[in-house]
Amino acid sequence: MDRETRDMLLETADRFFTERCGREVVNGVEKGVWPAEFWKEIEEMGLPLIAVAEERGGAGGTLADMLSVLRLAGAHAVPVPLAETALANLLGSAAGATPATGPSTVVFGPLTFAGNRLSGEVARVPFASVAQRFVVVATASDGPKVAIVAASSARIKGTPSHAGEPYGTVSFDNAACEFVGPSPVSAERADELGALMRAMQMAGAADKVLATVVEYCKQRTQFGRPISTFQAIQQMLAELASYVAATIASAETAARDADEGGLAEGGSFSIAAAKSLTSEFAQRIAAIAHQSMGAMGFTHEHILHHYTRRLWVWRRDFGSETFWGEKIGSAYAKAGPQALWPALSASRYAA
Amino acid sequence: MSIPKLEFPPFHLPPEAEALRADVRAFLKETLPGIKTEDRFASWNTPSPEFSRALGQRGWIGITWPKQYGGSERSFLDRYVVTEELLGNSAPAGSHWVADRQSGPLLLRFGSEEQRQAILPRITKGECFFSIGMSEPDSGSDLASVRTRAEPVSGGFRVNGTKVWTSGAHRNHYCIALVRTSGQHGDRHKGLSQILVDLKTPGVTIRPIINLAGRHDWNEVTFNDAFIPESCLIGNEGDGWLQVTSELAFERSGPERFLQNFYVLRELVRVLGRQPAKRAASVLGRLIARLWTLRQMSVAVGGMMQGGKSPAIEASLVKDLGTIYQQDLPEIARVLAESDATTEEDMADFLDVAQYATMMAPSYTIQGGTTQVLRGIVARGLGLR
Repeated sequence: MDRETRDMLLETADRFFTERCGREVVNGVEKGVWPAEFWKEIEEMGLPLIAVAEERGGAGGTLADMLSVLRLAGAHAVPVPLAETALANLLGSAAGATPATGPSTVVFGPLTFAGNRLSGEVARVPFASVAQRFVVVATASDGPKVAIVAASSARIKGTPSHAGEPYGTVSFDNAACEFVGPSPVSAERADELGALMRAMQMAGAADKVLATVVEYCKQRTQFGRPISTFQAIQQMLAELASYVAATIASAETAARDADEGGLAEGGSFSIAAAKSLTSEFAQRIAAIAHQSMGAMGFTHEHILHHYTRRLWVWRRDFGSETFWGEKIGSAYAKAGPQALWPALSASRYAA
Repeated sequence: MSIPKLEFPPFHLPPEAEALRADVRAFLKETLPGIKTEDRFASWNTPSPEFSRALGQRGWIGITWPKQYGGSERSFLDRYVVTEELLGNSAPAGSHWVADRQSGPLLLRFGSEEQRQAILPRITKGECFFSIGMSEPDSGSDLASVRTRAEPVSGGFRVNGTKVWTSGAHRNHYCIALVRTSGQHGDRHKGLSQILVDLKTPGVTIRPIINLAGRHDWNEVTFNDAFIPESCLIGNEGDGWLQVTSELAFERSGPERFLQNFYVLRELVRVLGRQPAKRAASVLGRLIARLWTLRQMSVAVGGMMQGGKSPAIEASLVKDLGTIYQQDLPEIARVLAESDATTEEDMADFLDVAQYATMMAPSYTIQGGTTQVLRGIVARGLGLR
């Protein structure tokens, strides 16, 4: 979609999330309450179908359009699998499926696919216990496949994430698939796309943390003046801003590179670097934010933890800085010192 | 929320800049092996008049300036590519660096026609080098408190005072000095001007200040009744503060704020060998990811500047993050090499490299605006002060 259309969509979605995704919704999900009405409205707005082609019932937007909405969802701690469903629909529709309604999630991991049946177990699957179907990218003898499995055909052990979202372990035991089609991406690439979507959600959450903390420090009075007037606080918040800026910049650059280079391989290195950076900086952001807000920010009552806890969870989802760092480091080491600058300045893995 | 959005819009360097990159690389590949430098790992503060002349012959100094002054009228982004290639390939770019980055642009913007014609073409040829005369013994971060006085006398100024940390003054031709031309000490920004000082002027004495690594880069420059002709006043009397603040913006956002010790990363890749252990690869990859992010932020700032914006807060954030990365790098690399270098011999050599880099590291967060001053600027941008 063009810039203007996207900006309009983001403005509408921002207002919608502000009105309909308040603290009670986020806290409710943590207590196990599925916000059915909120999800229905998300679907009515077409948000899970942004990057699905029009002939498959979607909005015909780009990957970049989808990611910009997910960044916004990150800034509102949207506690439903919007990101996962959007990615599942993108992959499924590109493989020939027509997206169904209801929440989905993606399951990327060591799965074996034979005779149109799926086997294997993956832990820490986001929203495993509320998803109605699982979308998988698995490698078959004739190339990667997108397989869609109904929740009823899988075994799910719910283990909520530390942010209180319904994550869990998903097992397939020779499970029948509702749909199988040739995947537009490799299994490895599917993981990259997961990492990219989390990096953008982290950018949104980081932005929200900074805004929340700055507002708080301007209002909180101690020793007879707003604590934002103390140099110690100013220096901390400026440092926080630097980490938030880096998080946003790396995620947005990776989103652009992925979009421009195409679904199958665009921005492969940029995504790895962005997920490494955003995951590494998550703790720096959370640490300064909590220190600035004192005991208030450590309560369940305040919303700060909606964002800091998600940052702590999301940094591990779809590969942490350890995973992506190793991937980058191994490739650059293999290529040797002379390849370092040419590769880095071209945003690609050293070859 | 009322705080300004921190955005670094992803930016592609244009095709002509990328084409120039290939030319610069080819030039460096050919030229660098024949250049002698005092440094094993050269960077933007390693002087080599020989290298600067060779670069000037290619038209790559003052690349953005008007042709009438020896420039090439190319874009700011072309200059960006030249500077990052010099840094990424460890070229000894120290002789011309300050003249190219800030003294030339300053003269172009504020200088007289006579000054421009006399100086700028020589800078572009790599034959005229500059030092910065801002800091004084009692004026560091608080630059408005400078005491050096230029008293109007017939035909010019009589200058008295002392400048310090004047890098390269013992090698360079000129220094642009921030001095008080009117009013009293305590008037702060009012009454300050900048003057062009020929470093051979009688009454100007240059003494070395050796840094902790034993290097002689810095100097103390003393003015003792030095006569500076009126024609050397830059712009209007009293405009000095406006000039230095615009100069500092040039000084902050460039790739030298995260590529100054790039050699440490390159050497680290070498000593880890082609198949490092998982943990070592991961630490290396995280460093590369940080550096990549810094470069993307810096390029984005370049894109904003090319688009006519003045992203002062964003530039400050890049310098803050970049210089801290440069301080972390030698430490992370040293620890990693101690456990994971492929051979004892490599490790011993690399630890010396890392040790040298560690000694240089404190300067990164001081020069060009301390981290604390930068964070003050960012805090103002966040509406905190």
